[in-house]
Amino acid sequence: MNRRNFFAGAAAGMAATGVSRVALAALPEPAMQAGNATAPPLVPPNGRPYQPVVTLNGWTAPWRMNGGVKEFHLVAEPVVREMAPGFKVNMWGYNGQSPGPTIEVVEGDRVRIFVTNRLPEHTTVHWHGQRLPNGMDGVGGITQPQIPAGKTFVYEFTARRPGTFMYHPHADEMVQMAMGMMGFWVTHPKARHPLIDEVQRDFCFLLNAYDVDPGSMTPRVNTMLDHNIWSWNSRVFPGIDTLNVRHRDKVRIRVGNLTMTNHPIHLHGHEFTVTGTDGGPVPPMARWPEVTTDVAVGQMRQIEFLADEEGDWAIHCHKSHHTMGAMGHDVPTMIGVDHSGLVKKIQKLVPDYMVMGERGMADMGEMPMPLPDNTHPMMAGQGPYGPAEMGGMFTLLKVRREQPPGSYADPGWFRQPAGTQAYEFGGSPPPAASVAAPAQPQAALPSVRKPSGHSGH
Amino acid sequence: MRPLLRPGLLAAVLALAGCAAPSPDGYRGEIAALTAGKTAGVAAALPAPDADTGPLVAELLAQPLDAGAAVRIALLNNPGLRASFATLAISDAERVRAGRAPNPHFALGRFAEGDRLEIERVLSFNVLGLLTLPWRAEWQGRQTELAKLQAAQDVVRLAAETRKAWIRAVAAQQSAGYLRDVRDAAETGAELARRMARVGNWSRLQQAREQAFLADATAQLARAEQARVAARERLTRLLGLWGTQAQYALPERLPDLPAAVVEPTEVEAQALRQRLDVKSAVDESRYVAQSLGYVRATGVINALDLSYTRNTTFDNARGDKEAKRGWEVELPLPLFDWGQAGNARAQGLYLQSVARVQAVAVQARSEAREAYLGWRTAYDLARHYRDEIVPLRRFINDEMVLRYNGMLASVWALLADTRQNVLAVNSALEAQRDFWLADTDLQTTLSGTSPGALPALASSAAAGGEPQGH
Ligand SMILES: [Cu+2]
Repeated sequence: MNRRNFFAGAAAGMAATGVSRVALAALPEPAMQAGNATAPPLVPPNGRPYQPVVTLNGWTAPWRMNGGVKEFHLVAEPVVREMAPGFKVNMWGYNGQSPGPTIEVVEGDRVRIFVTNRLPEHTTVHWHGQRLPNGMDGVGGITQPQIPAGKTFVYEFTARRPGTFMYHPHADEMVQMAMGMMGFWVTHPKARHPLIDEVQRDFCFLLNAYDVDPGSMTPRVNTMLDHNIWSWNSRVFPGIDTLNVRHRDKVRIRVGNLTMTNHPIHLHGHEFTVTGTDGGPVPPMARWPEVTTDVAVGQMRQIEFLADEEGDWAIHCHKSHHTMGAMGHDVPTMIGVDHSGLVKKIQKLVPDYMVMGERGMADMGEMPMPLPDNTHPMMAGQGPYGPAEMGGMFTLLKVRREQPPGSYADPGWFRQPAGTQAYEFGGSPPPAASVAAPAQPQAALPSVRKPSGHSGH
Repeated sequence: MRPLLRPGLLAAVLALAGCAAPSPDGYRGEIAALTAGKTAGVAAALPAPDADTGPLVAELLAQPLDAGAAVRIALLNNPGLRASFATLAISDAERVRAGRAPNPHFALGRFAEGDRLEIERVLSFNVLGLLTLPWRAEWQGRQTELAKLQAAQDVVRLAAETRKAWIRAVAAQQSAGYLRDVRDAAETGAELARRMARVGNWSRLQQAREQAFLADATAQLARAEQARVAARERLTRLLGLWGTQAQYALPERLPDLPAAVVEPTEVEAQALRQRLDVKSAVDESRYVAQSLGYVRATGVINALDLSYTRNTTFDNARGDKEAKRGWEVELPLPLFDWGQAGNARAQGLYLQSVARVQAVAVQARSEAREAYLGWRTAYDLARHYRDEIVPLRRFINDEMVLRYNGMLASVWALLADTRQNVLAVNSALEAQRDFWLADTDLQTTLSGTSPGALPALASSAAAGGEPQGH
């Protein structure tokens, strides 16, 4: 677990923004976060009690009670997020990290959020999914003036309905979201809610995507879909923490999508139900079992299941490119291409050249090759049995009998009981002839050739 | 001005006139002294007129030919230079002839009229020719001096031309090697593309694009090969080689750039002080000035013949003979031509020679400045290529390998970048070549003679920028 730098360095930072001492006296000091590990759940020290969530590779913002109002302080600022060990990206975030801290409140709480803008341009915060007064909705130019650089604005409203929400800018949002401005918001029910079950584990993360050119540090904000870094809470596998639960825990996972494409989130070994969306809890009669749920752009999904199967279970986006690190999208398929006689020729010109992709891309996971600086490998994940050949929106649900209640510590790799793992067949393999040979297009050409408009001329 | 007649001088002239003889080594020793330190940085010896240079040339050709050896061979073997020395020998012969006193004329006449027969014997002597002998001998000697300077300039120019031809030949050979690498990269890409298309991974369009790269690279290589042969043949001609001797080997690369260059100072003064063409013009002008006295002296009387006649008349009828002796002086009467035209011509020649000195000096100063700037720029450019562009290109290529490693870039992108890299190295070679050419021109300009038109620095292909895709 990492250390939290609550209140650290805030005064100096505040002074730099030129906020008056009167205003400073009224502002709660912002809690900053330097690390990127998963913080333990923040058990509410005051206010109405609730069962806290765990933010994957993130944390929950502490608050101050002020006359019955929960006061938070978000500081929008440039940050450096380590998306995987050694892979650092210049982002814009809140309170030292991107995404910003999760805000957890209870249904009916009066909430006051101070937002200080330390970005080079103006910003706003939109409280995605909340019922609130129109003037608090954070759409720059429409419901409020933008928060100029160096200024602090205050948002105040009542968290009226329980559910899973997000916050993100609604000012120059294309740039600001591409740079990582976003955070999670959870409103817990104030009492037992007929549609919201008690759970033992409650995880949340945001889906985000960046285009970081290999060897660079700042995302390309103009990329619309061809991103090469697909992340959860701005972390990429194997830099993402695992979801560690006790066997037979009831688990809730909340997922919000702030990328520009949908992500089918798939869980192995269990069925789950989607128990909530941005709109609130799903009525029981409308729920159905799933192993994959598609989280569309700008949506939230809240899934729940009983973790009754021990093991290390993959949970990932089912778009296979999204479980990859940085890769070239213009690289042609090299499978089956004969390189004989050419490798030496190329090596004469490029001494460090090695053949890759001739048999597929698994080579990439097997042999680590030097890459440009600050580049997350395409496939970097390693498991107990070899390369996992993945590197993006992927992590593991670790279900263990021996996991203590309430402990989020990583129990390590699962040891499958004897006789419960795939094994090599002991008999003789099938004859080679039955293995499908690669298609020979030139042989097939005459039969599939279309009549040419030029023939006979 | 000297008096026309002085007995002692006359005797001395007669004595000297008999002694003048052609130079035994065709002035090669003197020319070697004149060109010392001016033959493209090598101490090159000039062969004696009848020397057999074959063994020495063969020895120099036994190993790869460096620039110094090339210059030495050219000075031994170049046919043009041999012609130049022959011209000098002709001039020398003129000098020798001019130094001899004019031969006396003997005329015999036989005239018959009836029984009378007259035999006339005249011995005549061009007195003026004898009297002006010192001037003419000196004049011709000066012509020989000028011819020597001319031959020395030919030596300097040949040395510079040979060195430049050698630089071009080596660079062209190296360039062809690089373009072969470019062709190889394109060939590999095209072959891989063919195999890609064969297994169905690529369309014929994509394959054709790689094929087009290869076709283009092949054409470039053909041009480079032709340029290599042309540069080498030019050197071969300057070396005066043929047959098996023309199969000499050249070194694989040009000499490296000097680590630091010694900046020449006062280039204009140095050129004026050391250049042979400046010296030649100044000497010529001085000689013309000196010859004005001769022209003035002979302006009125430009011929003076003294003859002794013995006339014997036989009268056959009378059987007696009668002899008459006497002498005769013949000289033109300055009635119409008082020598003004001759004087004016001499004056004109003098003014012409002074103007020529001015022109040569202006040219030498200007060429010195231009050659110096060209040399300095060529050096800076060559260093820029060596220290900036080539390392950058290499770094870019290394980074492309890393991108290829991560499957972030294809092998074709890598090969395309490699082509760019090789072309940048080739541009660096061209810059290095241009420096050595400029260096040769600077040496020639400051200490030898006019190098002819100074070349503009060749502009090379852009070396920066990202490799363009397909
Ligand atoms: Cu996805």
